[in-house]
Amino acid sequence: MRNEIELEAIIEDYLNGNLSVEEAKAFEELRIKDPSVDHKLVAHKVFLDSLKDYGHVLSLKDKMDAAHATMDVEALKTELKPHSSPIVKLWRNNKSALAVAASFILLAMVSVFAIQHNTKQNGSYEMMRRELDRIKSSQNKLIRNINSNVKTEAAPVRPAKFGGTGFAITSNGFLCTNLHVINGADSVYVQNSKGEAYKAKVYYTDPQYDLAILQIVDKDFSPLSALPYKLKRSAVGMGENVYTLGFPKDDAVLGQGYVSSRTGHAGDTTAYQVSIPVNPGNSGGPLLDNNGNVVGVISAKENQVDGAAFAIKSKYILEALSAIPSDSLGRRSVTKKSPLQGLSRLKQVEKIQDYVFMIKVYN
Amino acid sequence: MSKKLSSSVPTDREVVLGILNNSDDALNKLYTGYFPMILQFILNNNGDEDDAKDVYQESIIILYNKIKSGDFELSSKLKTYIYSLCRRIWLKKLSKESKKAVNVTDFEDIEAVETDLEKHEEKDRQFEKMQEALLHLGEPCKTIIQDFYIHNLSMQEISEKFGYTNTDNAKTQKYKCLQRLKKLFFQS
Repeated sequence: MRNEIELEAIIEDYLNGNLSVEEAKAFEELRIKDPSVDHKLVAHKVFLDSLKDYGHVLSLKDKMDAAHATMDVEALKTELKPHSSPIVKLWRNNKSALAVAASFILLAMVSVFAIQHNTKQNGSYEMMRRELDRIKSSQNKLIRNINSNVKTEAAPVRPAKFGGTGFAITSNGFLCTNLHVINGADSVYVQNSKGEAYKAKVYYTDPQYDLAILQIVDKDFSPLSALPYKLKRSAVGMGENVYTLGFPKDDAVLGQGYVSSRTGHAGDTTAYQVSIPVNPGNSGGPLLDNNGNVVGVISAKENQVDGAAFAIKSKYILEALSAIPSDSLGRRSVTKKSPLQGLSRLKQVEKIQDYVFMIKVYN
Repeated sequence: MSKKLSSSVPTDREVVLGILNNSDDALNKLYTGYFPMILQFILNNNGDEDDAKDVYQESIIILYNKIKSGDFELSSKLKTYIYSLCRRIWLKKLSKESKKAVNVTDFEDIEAVETDLEKHEEKDRQFEKMQEALLHLGEPCKTIIQDFYIHNLSMQEISEKFGYTNTDNAKTQKYKCLQRLKKLFFQS
């Protein structure tokens, strides 16, 4: 009994590492010599380990119970217990899936919205040819017939069906206008600001750029004096102040604005977007900059959008001109400097109005 | 739930370091941090708050032992690990009670924890055996053994506490108690 107690004390000391080096050595020898001692040691170790584990778990449980006591389990329970409503249950159980679905839908909507806005200008392209008001036009015609002492007899009495604007590009009677103004015409008459009408024929059309060149073929037509403006070959920049003269009614109307974009409808690079008030009848009118250079031809506007008119770049007029034999064009102004340069707007318009014609189309 | 978790949950690193350093504070934070998650899980799967407490404490013990044993590698979030443990434990309990296969409603991601759980079950059996043995041991043996081996009191202190005239008597008493306890432990 006594020995047993001592043996166990030694075993415990050995396991805890409390023996001195010699004692430990002596004990290990004893273990090797006596298997029963060794067995006791192993059994004791296993037992003590599980006793220690037991102690650890017990103290851990105590600590957790203490932590548990600090929580308001009842409040949590009411918050987290299964909800009677199936919708809330569904929401709780599928929170993340729903979140993913929702963000996907949102993303899709945003991208669709963005694409639509990026690629499509609102509104459609509306060409500014004027369908002339029958009655009003015929009345005007009558008044002019009575009042004017100038020659108008050559023009048909029947009122024109469509109207537009054109401007002289040579002094011997070549005019530039839009193709859509004279398209499908049986006959074309042009009328200057004094009310004199001349018969004209379509000399050249350029469907690609919506341009047409007319030639006045009337025997009463006397050549104009040298053109006060010239066609600008290079492009103008955004913000350039421009104005146009046109015939949205039976008298010339001045419109003023600025180049608002270097490209036209839906990014069309052959045209400018111009912020200028234009109306049916303005089509074919010259677009001039402050120095009196023709920079484009008014062709259309965007309906539903305010202040977005389009003008074909003057470069393409020059291209169209090159299609005409140069001898038939007659004498062309070669002045480097535009004669209008430096003049006030009032003087410029005064000089230009003789070169801008109303185009009347019959079919 | 998400509100509560984000406000009071310690970082995984804090927990692991805290447990390694025996910090009671870290244990408290860990315990209170994830309990609502488990409570929600158990309440929504045919359990009550006492079930939640039992299951949760068991999972914390597993986590604690795993960290203490030193082979703990954080392969996922601690939250996922705890949730997976609790889910597995609760599934076992449910299937023990009713013979048919059970399905649970999940609230979090899960990961495989079977090996950890098996290790724990072995330890748990030892724990229950020891508890049983100590229960049968009776007083004053139980207290002497606990004081000496668990609370690490010296023989001197024990003999004073129990009124033994000298430490030798106390040692003899302790030896007898231990022998009986061993017998009970290894027999059962």
